[in-house]
Amino acid sequence: MRLPDGYQERIYTPQQARSVEAVWRHEESQAGRSLILPDGRCDVIVRYNADRAVVPRLVVTGPATRPYWVTFEAWDRWIGVRLRPERGGVLWGDALARAKDQVALEDEAEALVPELAGLCVAGVSPADLQQALVRFVEGRALSPEGHRVGETVRRLHLTGGRFSVTELAARAGCSTRHLNRMFASTVGLSVKAYASLVQFHRALRLVCRAGGSLSDAAFEAGYADQAHMTRAMRRFGGFVPSDIPEGLIRPDVSGGLWGNRTA
Amino acid sequence: MKLGYTIIYVKNVPETVAFYEAAFGLTQRFMHESTLYAEMQTGNTVLSFSAEEVIELDGLAFAPNEKSAIPAGWEICFITEDVEAAFEKAVASGCAPVSKPHGVPWGQTISYVRDLNGCLVEIATPMNLEG
Repeated sequence: MRLPDGYQERIYTPQQARSVEAVWRHEESQAGRSLILPDGRCDVIVRYNADRAVVPRLVVTGPATRPYWVTFEAWDRWIGVRLRPERGGVLWGDALARAKDQVALEDEAEALVPELAGLCVAGVSPADLQQALVRFVEGRALSPEGHRVGETVRRLHLTGGRFSVTELAARAGCSTRHLNRMFASTVGLSVKAYASLVQFHRALRLVCRAGGSLSDAAFEAGYADQAHMTRAMRRFGGFVPSDIPEGLIRPDVSGGLWGNRTA
Repeated sequence: MKLGYTIIYVKNVPETVAFYEAAFGLTQRFMHESTLYAEMQTGNTVLSFSAEEVIELDGLAFAPNEKSAIPAGWEICFITEDVEAAFEKAVASGCAPVSKPHGVPWGQTISYVRDLNGCLVEIATPMNLEG
């Protein structure tokens, strides 16, 4: 799978000590539109243009569970901070419960994060934008519940979303009901919804890179059969396994690893 | 084909290395500057530890080792002439005892503990294959 030209990101480690999962930038050299795959995370983004006369716009996204299209002009640029899944409340506060698949733009975004309201003025430098975004997101204490949810998120990623909620609750040392409640209030999605996203992203990688058949990939990803994988790809990507588009904007959902990774 | 490495995925590599040095008397032979990977001095077949978080980028998935969960169906086995002393040292260093040293019909003395990450570790006398 090829990432689109112009997309790059830097993953921050160690993971759980921070709110920021990654800082990413993207640039488009011509007008068009691009498919964004859902990753269940919240981002705070400033969208601007190489033409400094264009006033930058603030965007706050809620945890996405559906693919969506973004349209853009030539030389549109983005600089974004992706938060760790258990830190969505930093951007949305109590509104996180209603943030699923929501995108707040400009005034709406500034109402969510008034601290960044003055940031979007014509001519502001990318370096200042990045610094302001990271500074806003970092340095916030995480509640004990947030830590426990963070551990569950970690287990979900290590298992490719294949642990049951029962197993996750046993490992977290609480009831499934309590885990679901903690998870939903911290991530903004149900455990099951988040697990399905992790499983989908892993399946996507297996289809593209594992070197086997589609049914091999479905089996390894933990789907009951190939039809279940196809359904998941339709739902989360809008495509079928035999026809995965090139140039997907596909953030590295693992949140792992060694610093800079360029497309 | 030759067995080169046994690589155990762990939450914290430096902590695991320090634990294995204290509990089993091994020595670290390499640590990557990122502290996401380390190797122990174990001869031709290297025991190494890798941080769990690096697996997802290769499309791998597994049930992570955790003290609170049931261990995976495989083990590391250390061989020593003095199983009693090694077992005591391991437990004193924080291993959870599972089966104290005891003789088995085929002549070995064996024992089992679980390490800091919940992995099953056997401590046994060498097997006399000529017997």
